[in-house]
Amino acid sequence: MSISKNNLILYIGILTFGIAAPFIFPAFKVQLSILCVLIVLATTWNIQGGEMGYNSFGNILFYGLGMYLCASVQVGMFFPLAEWTESGGEKTFVHTPAQFFQGMAFGLIVAAVVPTIVAGLIGYSILGLRGHYFAICTLGLGVAAGEISGGIEIIGAGQGFTTPPFPDVGSLDSRGEFFYFLSFFVLVLTFIAVRGIYSTRFKLILNAIRDNEDKAEAMGIETMKYKIVGWMISAFFCGLAGGIMGGLVGYIDSTDVAFDGREMGVFMVLMAILGGKGTLWGPIIGATVFHIFKEGFWTFFLGWQYVALGVLIVVIVIYFPEGIMGWLREKYPERFGEVVDEKDRKAQVELK
Amino acid sequence: MKINKIIISFISAAVILLSTSVVSFAKVVGDKIVLGAAISLTGKYSSNGVHTQNGYNMAVDRINSMGGVKVGGKTYKFDIIYYDDESNPKRAAQLAERLISQDGVEFMLGPYSSGLTKAIAPVTEKYGVPMVEANGASRSLFTKGYKYLFAVLAPANLYLDVAIDLAVEKNNGKGVTVAMAFEQDAFSQDVRLGVLDAIKRTGSKKVIDDKLPKELNDMAATLVKVKQMKPDVLVVSGHTKGALTAIRQISEMKVDVPMLAMTHCDAAKLSKQHGKNSQYALCASQWHKTLTYKDDFFKDGMTYDADFTKEFGYAPPYQAAESSAALLVFKDAFERANSFDQKKVRDALAATNMQTFYGNIKFAEGGQNVDKPMVLFQVMCDDGGKCENKVVAPTKWASAKLIHPIPSWSQR
Repeated sequence: MSISKNNLILYIGILTFGIAAPFIFPAFKVQLSILCVLIVLATTWNIQGGEMGYNSFGNILFYGLGMYLCASVQVGMFFPLAEWTESGGEKTFVHTPAQFFQGMAFGLIVAAVVPTIVAGLIGYSILGLRGHYFAICTLGLGVAAGEISGGIEIIGAGQGFTTPPFPDVGSLDSRGEFFYFLSFFVLVLTFIAVRGIYSTRFKLILNAIRDNEDKAEAMGIETMKYKIVGWMISAFFCGLAGGIMGGLVGYIDSTDVAFDGREMGVFMVLMAILGGKGTLWGPIIGATVFHIFKEGFWTFFLGWQYVALGVLIVVIVIYFPEGIMGWLREKYPERFGEVVDEKDRKAQVELK
Repeated sequence: MKINKIIISFISAAVILLSTSVVSFAKVVGDKIVLGAAISLTGKYSSNGVHTQNGYNMAVDRINSMGGVKVGGKTYKFDIIYYDDESNPKRAAQLAERLISQDGVEFMLGPYSSGLTKAIAPVTEKYGVPMVEANGASRSLFTKGYKYLFAVLAPANLYLDVAIDLAVEKNNGKGVTVAMAFEQDAFSQDVRLGVLDAIKRTGSKKVIDDKLPKELNDMAATLVKVKQMKPDVLVVSGHTKGALTAIRQISEMKVDVPMLAMTHCDAAKLSKQHGKNSQYALCASQWHKTLTYKDDFFKDGMTYDADFTKEFGYAPPYQAAESSAALLVFKDAFERANSFDQKKVRDALAATNMQTFYGNIKFAEGGQNVDKPMVLFQVMCDDGGKCENKVVAPTKWASAKLIHPIPSWSQR
């Protein structure tokens, strides 16, 4: 993966901004952390929805799984989990700072690894479906997971699961900073991984699957293998994002927080489409714009925020059907995709 | 690459947008004490969210017009910043964070429902922001060691165990068979635990124990089982929608059961919406207008009921009454603390011991109100079809006698 000089400046700029952000906007740390999580979700959704042409509503499964796993490990490492989540339980457990951070670290590892394995296991059967059938099936996955987890007593069932409170380590800002840097770190990790993938043959194969799967298979590509690997990559980062979000929210509810297909599950699709699916930067821009608008609506249109959001979506679909990146590309083709077009053109010329 | 320029301009635009969103520090400004509240104005709890908000607003107006809060020789007025939490715990936690760190709120009022309170409590606790909440009854809220959480209501496990006791009493002290249907949410599940305890204590037997989905719209499967098993008591809890669904389907399917015990009947305006179909339903309530508690601001339950009805056009359910009481508690604590220091206000809150029109308020170590019993009322209709909720238990407050067993549908 080569990085041009201009790109390097851009990345360093963003990185510096990312590190400085919680100090520039100290009051917005939670929103910034959530923004990072949203970007991770949109970017990983884009691997399926954008690059591979598989509109997945099931990525929320990995997000919720990661959330429950991270919290369960964090509690279970030091205290009996059943007593922690027992509704009406009389005991109070408190994590020491060391226990909290150790638990979080192990929790996040489990939250990343297990969903990846799950994606691999269920991928073989589910990724055999295409088009609407795949979308509907994955939609069912999230709903089913929410209902099932709502019945498992050890993780709190319908009572919900209160994640370990952040330990007292001196200043009030430390919690916000901890979660911000954690989510920013995961965001950077996701970006590097996704950018890495997109610069290899892997991305071309995903695109081939999107454009014509049968032809890709006929060309000798084991499409199923790549589809599964793609999904596992998404699952890995969705799990991480879920784990962080669980700690950040502090309370896990089966259908409203963890397997929140109705909100997060739809938002990740919406953000990727808003920014422009099938591009590296689209989901990132989409998530940022979406989050800013959403927060704004919540403040200024109390009670009408969803109406405003709905109008925004209608406007996007009508005026930016290809997303912000797509719109920019159409508007300034010479500025935008010049290099890409040039290569593409040359490649086509050579083919002839 | 020009694409970088576009991205950079995007980022800078975002930065400018972020930085222009005003960070206002409200807390105690001029003569105003600004409280923060995340309320469910949309989503599955929206109707109860509005009851809560109306209750808060009613008390704010009343206290302000009757002289406000006197602290340090100065008079202050209450003001509330509301946000809509969409009945979503994730959103609620975010909003609490925003109220405290962006809007600078130093004192909070609770949201509607146990689940949302559970999401907000860790945040207020972290910042040491005293929160008086009126709608989070789940017992597990009070076992987390929270120091800044105070609930004016009785915990959820006490809601319906009285009903089981009552059924056993009517059965000459012998155990009864109980069918249970509870929504899968923090509050209803806690009510379930209370009922389970009561079943164990009285030597009763549970014959059905169903979990119902959120946004409860259908419980026909449970009712078919009830028809088959013929239990002595049917217990249903699922907020407003649960109460409405239960009555609708019980009357449609003509399910006969000697005792029907529920929660949220008055919030669902059952007797108004379903009229005679809701007759004989037994409902747990935190408050009823006929209770004889008194205070200086709302006088008593009957007056509160009349004033509230005049202002908002419907009779106040207990969710509104308890929300109003939360403000009275805050006022009392501010005046006793004689300061806006959060620690001092917290200590004053912990020492609360007062009577309001809603009931006595005295907090236990965990923050729950231990000085106020639950009441059970029964929907009773006259021949003209006009229905009213009448308190039937505990005997101290009872204004009518319990009708038991419920006459079968063929005789109604």
